[in-house]
Amino acid sequence: MKTSGAFRERLQEAWIELRSNPGRSFLQALGVMLGVASVLGGFSISDSQRQQSERLFARLGGIDKLNVLPTDTVYQGTPSALQNANRGLRLEDAVMGGQMASAGAVDAVSVINQARARVRSEFADQEREVSGIGADYAPLNGYQIEQGRDFSSHDYATGAPVVILGSQAASVFFPTGEILGKTLRIGDVPVTVIGIFAEKTFRFREGQNNIFAWRNRIVAVPSLLVAARMEGDLYHRLDRITFRIPDLEAMADFSKELSSLVTTNHRLQSDFRLDDVYKRMDRRRSQGDVYNIVFMLSGVLALIGGGMVNVNIQLASLKERVREVGVKMAIGASGSEIFKAFMTEALLLTMLGSAAGYAVGIAFSWVITKSIGVPMAISPLSFVWATALAVVFGFLFALYPAAKASRQSPMEALRYE
Amino acid sequence: MRIIETQDLNKIYGSHGNTVHALRGVDLDIQRGEFVALTGPSGSGKSTLMSILGCLDLPTGGTYALDGVQVEKLSGADLAAIRNEKIGFVFQQYNLLPKATILRNVELPMLYAGVPRKERRQRALELLERVGIPDKANTLPGALSGGQRQRVAIARALANRPALLLADEPTGALDSKTGQEVLALFHELHAQGNTVVLVTHDPAIAALAERRVEMRDGLIYDREELAA
Repeated sequence: MKTSGAFRERLQEAWIELRSNPGRSFLQALGVMLGVASVLGGFSISDSQRQQSERLFARLGGIDKLNVLPTDTVYQGTPSALQNANRGLRLEDAVMGGQMASAGAVDAVSVINQARARVRSEFADQEREVSGIGADYAPLNGYQIEQGRDFSSHDYATGAPVVILGSQAASVFFPTGEILGKTLRIGDVPVTVIGIFAEKTFRFREGQNNIFAWRNRIVAVPSLLVAARMEGDLYHRLDRITFRIPDLEAMADFSKELSSLVTTNHRLQSDFRLDDVYKRMDRRRSQGDVYNIVFMLSGVLALIGGGMVNVNIQLASLKERVREVGVKMAIGASGSEIFKAFMTEALLLTMLGSAAGYAVGIAFSWVITKSIGVPMAISPLSFVWATALAVVFGFLFALYPAAKASRQSPMEALRYE
Repeated sequence: MRIIETQDLNKIYGSHGNTVHALRGVDLDIQRGEFVALTGPSGSGKSTLMSILGCLDLPTGGTYALDGVQVEKLSGADLAAIRNEKIGFVFQQYNLLPKATILRNVELPMLYAGVPRKERRQRALELLERVGIPDKANTLPGALSGGQRQRVAIARALANRPALLLADEPTGALDSKTGQEVLALFHELHAQGNTVVLVTHDPAIAALAERRVEMRDGLIYDREELAA
């Protein structure tokens, strides 16, 4: 065939062939279908899981964060004089960190120092964790003010005796609902409630516990208030500093510089650790990649199995078709034309099998994600992968029967009974 | 003008002492427009000669020119093109493609020749009309009688206006009445200027041909020569 419509003609020919042998064609397409379904469904399931954890991190206030946390330097024995003299993670570290050369990439810094204290209202009296927070803490941790107001810069600078409550804390200490403006005693310090955070919820799967429930227990006051009046801590020690760096590329440089700065500040003792949320996330993601590889492998195995079945079926059916090939050759089909006809048939089978595989894979993913209660996600790339694999293996396994058919002698093929 | 011109055609099957010498130096000339019957008992080499004349197989020795083209040295793809353009085959068992419609069966040689779709379709319909089955274009071969199938095969053979119609026992599978009709069609086509080579073992059919060539033990004799 020499015309530009040759491919279409071959496709038509292939369609006639497949349609007249529905059983055989179905068996041949089955392997492709399973392979495609396995890759697509598997990818979709791990994509769905991954998107769910990305949603979690987004709710946690984003993944572009670098945390600095204090660690113990003394595990055993008596601390040395130097270790004793070290003052730990301080506000100074946060301030200086925000002023470093590479800090241009930092768009928010949050600090927190915690204290345990008795918290009392006219309705409740409980031992609670009290969080002394810095300016960017609320946005960085995904808290939003629902009622009242946020701390002002004046509150932060002076360590004003004001408090913002999480939704759970608010309902415990003020069950009547009149909250703003009321007074709460934290230890010996009377503080005024100026705001309430919106309730935070996140469930990994439908029907599971709210994994953010503990965050609604927060009792937040300005950081300085904790340092000055609850802990009596002259040095304003912190329990965590968080830098937000939207440009993840800049993260590595920043954390290197920060690490050396804090080490210097701490008299060369590494009594802190850096926790790169993005890296942590990335590790989780690479775990997801492992699943993807497993799914892809099972898809490839299905395709190889299906491919071998195809080779067998094609070789067996070749016996029935020898005469047909001989006739085609007698009326002018060249070997390459026969080869192309067989390959076109394989291509059409692959396409039909893939289409069925899409449907099965999507159904598969839908059932699984539904049963674990995660919203289903399918990326277009999964389709590309699944199809590409199916086409590659379909092509490879079609080569041998097609070559064998095309190399027959027309005379012998015609005489074949 | 000569359509077929062979010189000293030899064909040896097998190797290493276990050989069959099917053709032993065949010299055969066939002019354009001739109707030649090729006869001979089985084992005489007529199938072998037919395969070589039809460019389905190559001779071991000798030369063969078909319509001015030397074919004994051609590659497989070139032979396919020659078969496509210059030869129309009609077989005893019709050899239609069972899954394709009558129309597609007739179109197929034109498809391989790269004839545009519209032209192809039109010519196929014309040919079906010419062989006397204009209304069966969209049926499958299985629905036709033997005589009708053979007519379709003839239409297919004519598709690319071949230089040579090569028929191998075309009436062998038909009852005598239908056989006569198909034979009449061949004579009609001959009258219209086609060159026909008809392989048969039936002396009655051979007798109707313009020229009879008989094969014996790998050699050919014109009927006139034998009589002399």
